[in-house]
Amino acid sequence: MTVGGATVEFEKIRKTYGDFVAVDDFTLTTEPGEFVTLLGPSGSGKTTVLNMLAGFTDATAGDIRVNGQSVLSVPTEKRNVGMVFQHYSLFPHMSVLDNVAFPLRMRSVARAEARDRALKALAMVQLESTADRMPDQLSGGQKQRVAFARGVVFEPPVLLMDEPLGALDLKLREAMQLELKQIHKTVGCTIIFVTHDQSEALTLSDRIVVMRDGRIEQVDTPNRIYDRPANKFVAEFIGQTNFFALESEPSTGAGNLPELGSSIPLPESIDARAGGDWWVSVRPEKILRIAEGAERGINFDAAIDEALFLGNEVHYQASLPGGRQLQFREQRGPDTPLLARQAAVRLGFDYSDAIPVADTHPASA
Amino acid sequence: MRFKSTVLSGAIALGLAASPALAEKKIVVSGSGGGLAKVMTAIYDKPFTKATGIEIRRVASTNRVSLLAGMEKTGRVLWDVTELSGPEFPLSVAKGFVRALDWNLIDPDNRLPAIARDKYGVVAASFSTILAVRTDKLPKGKKMKSWADFWDVKTFPGPRALRNRPVENLEFALLADGVPTADLYKVLATKAGQDRAFKKLDQIKKHVVVWWKTGAQPIQLLSDGEVYYTSAFNGRVTKLAKSGTPAEIVWNGGALALAYYAIPKGAKNIKEAHAYLSALALDADRAAAFVKIVPYPGFAPGLYGKIPASMGKVLPTHPDNVKVQFKLNVGFWVKNTEALQERWDAWLLK
Amino acid sequence: MPAHSFRLLSLGIGIVKLLRSSDWLIVPGVLLLAFFFVAPTVEIALSSIFDEGLTGKHFERFATKGAYVEVFRRTLVRSVWIGILCVLIGYPIAYFIVHRSLRTQVFLMLLILVPLWTSILIRTYAWMVVLGREGIVNNALIWLGLIDKPLRMMFTTGAVYVAMIQILLPIAVIACYSAMTEIDRTLPRAAKVLGASPWKAFRHVFLPLSLEGALTSFVIVFMLSMGFFITPALVGGRKDAMLANVIAHNVEQLNWGFASALALLLLVATIIVIVVVRLLANRFVGVRSVGMAP
Repeated sequence: MTVGGATVEFEKIRKTYGDFVAVDDFTLTTEPGEFVTLLGPSGSGKTTVLNMLAGFTDATAGDIRVNGQSVLSVPTEKRNVGMVFQHYSLFPHMSVLDNVAFPLRMRSVARAEARDRALKALAMVQLESTADRMPDQLSGGQKQRVAFARGVVFEPPVLLMDEPLGALDLKLREAMQLELKQIHKTVGCTIIFVTHDQSEALTLSDRIVVMRDGRIEQVDTPNRIYDRPANKFVAEFIGQTNFFALESEPSTGAGNLPELGSSIPLPESIDARAGGDWWVSVRPEKILRIAEGAERGINFDAAIDEALFLGNEVHYQASLPGGRQLQFREQRGPDTPLLARQAAVRLGFDYSDAIPVADTHPASA
Repeated sequence: MRFKSTVLSGAIALGLAASPALAEKKIVVSGSGGGLAKVMTAIYDKPFTKATGIEIRRVASTNRVSLLAGMEKTGRVLWDVTELSGPEFPLSVAKGFVRALDWNLIDPDNRLPAIARDKYGVVAASFSTILAVRTDKLPKGKKMKSWADFWDVKTFPGPRALRNRPVENLEFALLADGVPTADLYKVLATKAGQDRAFKKLDQIKKHVVVWWKTGAQPIQLLSDGEVYYTSAFNGRVTKLAKSGTPAEIVWNGGALALAYYAIPKGAKNIKEAHAYLSALALDADRAAAFVKIVPYPGFAPGLYGKIPASMGKVLPTHPDNVKVQFKLNVGFWVKNTEALQERWDAWLLK
Repeated sequence: MPAHSFRLLSLGIGIVKLLRSSDWLIVPGVLLLAFFFVAPTVEIALSSIFDEGLTGKHFERFATKGAYVEVFRRTLVRSVWIGILCVLIGYPIAYFIVHRSLRTQVFLMLLILVPLWTSILIRTYAWMVVLGREGIVNNALIWLGLIDKPLRMMFTTGAVYVAMIQILLPIAVIACYSAMTEIDRTLPRAAKVLGASPWKAFRHVFLPLSLEGALTSFVIVFMLSMGFFITPALVGGRKDAMLANVIAHNVEQLNWGFASALALLLLVATIIVIVVVRLLANRFVGVRSVGMAP
């Protein structure tokens, strides 16, 4: 079962409810077959975007095109997009087979063919044997897979997924993520996936769209989002990080980190005096314990507060002499000693690991 | 005054007034509740207690036959006197729930007309099912005078109503067919007479738009102009006319129904109950006061001398009205209702 | 161990078990139901066949005398129709309401409920004002010159239908509405995005899921109308009496046995209709799927 994915273009989409702006200036173009995740906290407008694409909600302004054709005036049932809902939304009065065959029957596919294709879709999610059961006889993970089979059985060029794994427990969710990735490879349709879970987004996506208050903060691949966050919000929302206040030195073009008593060279593109609040983001795994004489770009002393032993890795919380806290992580070899509480350590990181980010929303900072 | 001496002599004859035990006597009277009970208390009960020392406790009751049946079963007779409506009275008599009265105690001078006296009951009130007419709907210069006129749809066109039951209607049909009042129940007792009544009813059936069930209905229908001619209860028609609707009673051929007071079998205060019945039946002053409020009079001798003529002539027991009406033979109906009702129901559906 | 002491023992164990579980909480409810519902029903059933000894005379009277069978048939047919009509009218109203905003829903349901607080008698009389010879409809028609003599609308079978439907409709709406509010709102949405036209989404998803409510609403309206008598007596014509009228009449006449027999027949007929409706509904399951199930 292979489907060609579609190009989906959002052009300056805006959605308001009275005075409330739910989505604003949303512009995005997907590649055919791409897995794009809309990521953001609840209320960030990601589900509204999905609903506008599905046709549940009208856009106030802007345009949405699938393969170059505007869909805004097309009724939901003719948009030919698949959808998987957060709570599965399986039809409780139909058997699993009937549920999966539903989109085909609605498209007037002959009964026998519909049956064949529905069974194939069920086989793809390894649930062929449950065809005759009713949805309430399935486990949560099974329901999710049936919903997925139903969403793709009619080979839609676009599949929308609205927090589809949100109702599953952690272990099942991780298993489902892997399965989803594989099935996506087989099916090949464009997937637009909504979640508020950043690790899920990082695992699954070709590209991530980070949203906040109805606007796009950053669109990029997972590793770029992680390594080069566009602003403080993205850096904070994706993964864990340490922020240090950044003040620029006009004479040298260097940035001062007063909490660490050091400074870093700043690229010319960044003028920390020009606007607002600047910080550097340093991921915990980039901060290293350093031995005497093996100094990095930035070096400082700290005392261990807490150690979390995770087997191959230890997560530390430490305090600077001024009392400010930070996190760092350490990969363990067989002989790496565990640092005791109160132990004094010397830590450091490279200039390249300090990412200057601006707090672009001072109001909500 | 003759009346006073009668009561007094009656009381003395009973040995009631003088007896000190009497002052503590109390009798229980079952009857209508609500406003009517208040009227009864004010007009009859309080003066009675004053005169005799017998206290009256009134209890409101409905479905009295079943209550009497219950008392009979349990042996706990709670009432000394009870009202019984037209149908309740013969039923209670037939079932033996009430005792024969001692008329020497109630009316020693024999002043009540025969119609007011029954072996088991004293007439408490009367009402009549009469022909009521919307006078403004009558053809010009015509006047409806009888059930024969009611049947005459050529002379008197327009929608009509009758009560949905064979009782009264079969009598009305026979009257319309020319049977004299005196022979009514003789004719009705025969199969041929019943056939004759139903045949006559066939003629009017399709002109009767409503077969009413409750007493309020025909009044509403007259008032709304929904029907022009209908059978109805007399008191309600008088009230309707007073409120401004041009409605009139045709007494001729009216069915006079009587309600009774009776003493339940097994009642404990027989003598006192008789004294109370006597006061109810004979006192014309009180009857006059009562009738001014409630238009359902009994037969208290001299009543019509004590009220205005205009009021008297719309009451069912006025001598002129009694003359042209027939007394509803409840005994006949208790015996024949089941069969005739079944025939009636089937007939209505045809 | 003798049989009776064994029985006594198991009864004792049963009671102890009952008291140890929390099931005993339902005991007062069961007693109340037994006392106020089961006992009177049994009493009615008994008094219809015992009248100074075992007798079938009441049922014989029903079958052979008067017009009882006809009245019974009419009561049944009319109640079924009233039930169907109330559902056909009430269902779309409930559908409309349930698709409004929550605040509007509350307001509209209040409007639906208000008539229920008004006495049936008053509502019935109100119809006389509307449908009478000198009523609103006739006056309007005459004023418009459409007719020159008033039409007979009151005291007809049509008037009985109109008045009974008006009285029972709120109940039908409430039953449908409450079933519809139980439906997951994303299901019709899911149907649409999966390719169902609004009609097909309704037919294959909303309708089957709300069918239960429609049936409940039919059953309630049907049961209530089987026992109706004030309205038909007041607004109907001579052929519009219902069985309840006949029962009331016989109670007045102290024909307890016959009244009980009629009441029993009414009860049995009601139960039969409800069971038949249930069975038909279960066969209806075909509606519920898109026909893939074996």
